[in-house]
Amino acid sequence: MLLVMGKGGVGKTTIAASLAALEAETRGEAIFVEFGDGESGRRALAGAQRNVKHVVIRPADALQRAATPLFGSTTMARLVLGNFAMKPLLRAAPAIRELSMLEVVRQIAADRPGVRVVVDMPATGHSVAWLRVPKQGRDFLGAGPLFELCDRIGRELVAPGKASILVVTLPERLVIEETLELCAAVVRETGLAVDRIIVNRVPVSMPREALDDARALAEGGGPLAAAAGELAAVLAARAALSAEGVASLEALARHDHGIWRVPLAPVDPSAKDVARWLRAEGAG
Amino acid sequence: MSKAASPMVVVCAGGGGVGKTTTSAALALALARKGRSTLIVTIDPARRLAGAMGVAITDEVTRVPLPAARGNLAALMPDPRRSLHTFAEQLFEDEPAAKARLLGNRLYLGLADAAAGVHELVAMNLVARAAAQGSFEVVVIDTAPSRHAIDFVTYPSRLAALLGGRTVTWLAGLAQRAALDVPSGKAPSGLLSWGTGHVEHLLARVTGPNLVSDTGALFGDLAVVRERFVDLTQHAADLLLGPRAAYALVTAPTAAGRDDVLYLAKRLEKLGRSARAVVINRADTQPAPYARALAGERGLSPAITLALTMLDEERASRASAADACAAELGKHLRGVPLVRLPYIEAIAPEAVVAALADELTSQLATLLPAVSR
Repeated sequence: MLLVMGKGGVGKTTIAASLAALEAETRGEAIFVEFGDGESGRRALAGAQRNVKHVVIRPADALQRAATPLFGSTTMARLVLGNFAMKPLLRAAPAIRELSMLEVVRQIAADRPGVRVVVDMPATGHSVAWLRVPKQGRDFLGAGPLFELCDRIGRELVAPGKASILVVTLPERLVIEETLELCAAVVRETGLAVDRIIVNRVPVSMPREALDDARALAEGGGPLAAAAGELAAVLAARAALSAEGVASLEALARHDHGIWRVPLAPVDPSAKDVARWLRAEGAG
Repeated sequence: MSKAASPMVVVCAGGGGVGKTTTSAALALALARKGRSTLIVTIDPARRLAGAMGVAITDEVTRVPLPAARGNLAALMPDPRRSLHTFAEQLFEDEPAAKARLLGNRLYLGLADAAAGVHELVAMNLVARAAAQGSFEVVVIDTAPSRHAIDFVTYPSRLAALLGGRTVTWLAGLAQRAALDVPSGKAPSGLLSWGTGHVEHLLARVTGPNLVSDTGALFGDLAVVRERFVDLTQHAADLLLGPRAAYALVTAPTAAGRDDVLYLAKRLEKLGRSARAVVINRADTQPAPYARALAGERGLSPAITLALTMLDEERASRASAADACAAELGKHLRGVPLVRLPYIEAIAPEAVVAALADELTSQLATLLPAVSR
C-alpha cells in the first residue's frame, strides 16, 4: 500500500494518480483510492486510467461497510446507524468516520492481495490524525469489538511492511519545514517510516547570463533602460525562486530521505507526463 | 451588538494552492488603503504571510503596520493548535471546574485533530467579539483551503442541534448506567423509544465502557452550557449568513481550482447564498509592458532574448488556461463577475500582496457585499 500525504495544493492527487498509473504499467494493475466525491481523482487520472481501478470512498458508505461486521449484519448496522440519537452523534464525532474509512481501505487491500493500492490521503494534519486513530482507539477502548477493529487496522494497514508513506511537497523553504515536521510526526506517532519525498513543481532555471545582461542594459541608460530594469527584477525573482528550490532540496537531502523531483509546468500537467517524470527519477 | 455596528464580511473560499491567502490579504490591504477600517482573519494561518505582515499567530487582534495609509488594518490569526483550549475557555468562562474537566477529558482531547469545524467556530467567535468591540467596517475572512471551507457556517447549528437534542440526554443517561453497571436496555423516560434501548445495548457491547463514560461526561458538561453555546454561535452565524456577508471564490487557472469553485458555488446555493464574485489568480492575458517594450528589439543579448521567449511562453500557456477556466466558470455561474488578476513575479509575500492590492483597488465594489450604505 502506498499512502500519499502532503499539505493542500501541492499536487498530491495528481502525484498519487500518476503513481497508480506507473504501478499499473509495471505490475499489470493497481488500485487508486480516493476519499471524497471522486471528481478530482477522475480528473487526475484522465488519460492514464488503463488497468487502474479507481475506488472512491464516501463517509456514509464507509461507516455502513465498517459497521456491518461489528454489529453482525447489515440490518443491525442500519438499525444502529439510523437511530435518531446516533445520527447527530456520528455527524459530530469525526474520528468514527476516519476509522471506518481506514477500515474500508484495509478491506480493499485484504480482498486483493498482491495488487498495489495507492491512497490519496487527506491534506496534512488531518492525515497524521487519521493514521493515529487506530492506535488511540486501541489505547482508549481497552477491549471489545471496536478495540479489535482498531487493532486489526493497526496491524494490517498502519504497520511497517504493510504501508509505505510518500510525502509530496514544494521546493519552498516554509513548505519544506512543514514537510519535515510532518515526516517527524508520521514516524513518532504511527511508527511508519517515510519512504520517499516527492518535490513537486521544481522551477526551471532561466538562461544564466540573462539577469546580468538585463542589469547591464538597465544601467546603460537609453530608451530600453526602464523595461530592462523590470525584466531584471523579474529574473532576479526567478533566480531567488530557483535558489530557494536548490536550498530546499539540500535541506531535505540532509535528512536522509529519498527524493524524487517533478518539474514545474506552467499549467496542469497530465498524469501521463508526471508518471514519465517520476519514472525518470527512478519510480516504478 | 447593535445592527448598525455590524461590519460587512467578505468570505474568501477556494481549494488549496490557488493563492487564496495572498488574495485575501491583498483585498484587505486595498480596502485599508481606501480608508476603510478592515480586519483580516486567517483561519489557517500561513506563518510566512503572518511574518511578512508583522503579525503574530495568536487569538488577539493585532494592528498591521501600514506605511502611508489613511485607514487601518488589523489582523486576527488564531492558532489552530490552541483552538480546543480556546473553545473550552469561550464556553466555560465562569465555570473553571467544568473547564478543567473538559480539558482533561480524553475524548475531548482526542477530537483535537479530527474535529474539523471547532477551529473555525473558535475563530468566528473571536471575530464576533472583535466586531462587537472594534469599529471595523469590513472583515475579510480567509477560510481553510478546502472544499468544505464554508461548511463551518453550518457547524454551529449542527453542534447546537446535537447539544439541544435528545442525543445528549440519552448519552448522559448511558454514561450513568455504565458507571453504575446497570444493565442497559430499558429507557429511563418516555423521551426515548424502545428501539433506542436496543441500540444502546448494541453500542455498549461494541464500544466498551470507557468510550461510553467519557462521552457521557463530555456531553453532560456541554449540555450545561448549551444556551451559552447557542448564543456564541448565533453571533457567528449572523455575521456569516446575514445580508452583509459576501462570498468571493478564489481559483487559479487549473482544473482542480475551477472544480473546487464550482463545488463551493453549489454548497453556497444550498445555504441559500450565492457567490459575489470569482477571482482567478495568475490569469494575465497581455504581456507585461516591459516585455512589449523589449519584444522584437534588435541587439538584445541571446540570453535576454531566450529569457523573454521563455517568460512569454509561460504567460501564453497561463493565459490560455485562464481563458478556458473563465469560459467554463462563466457557463456554470451566470451573472457572477469574474475578476482576473495577473501572475506577480516576486518572491517576497509582502511584495505579492502589495502588487495584488494595486490590481484590486479598482475592483473593490465587485467584491464587497451589495448592501446600501
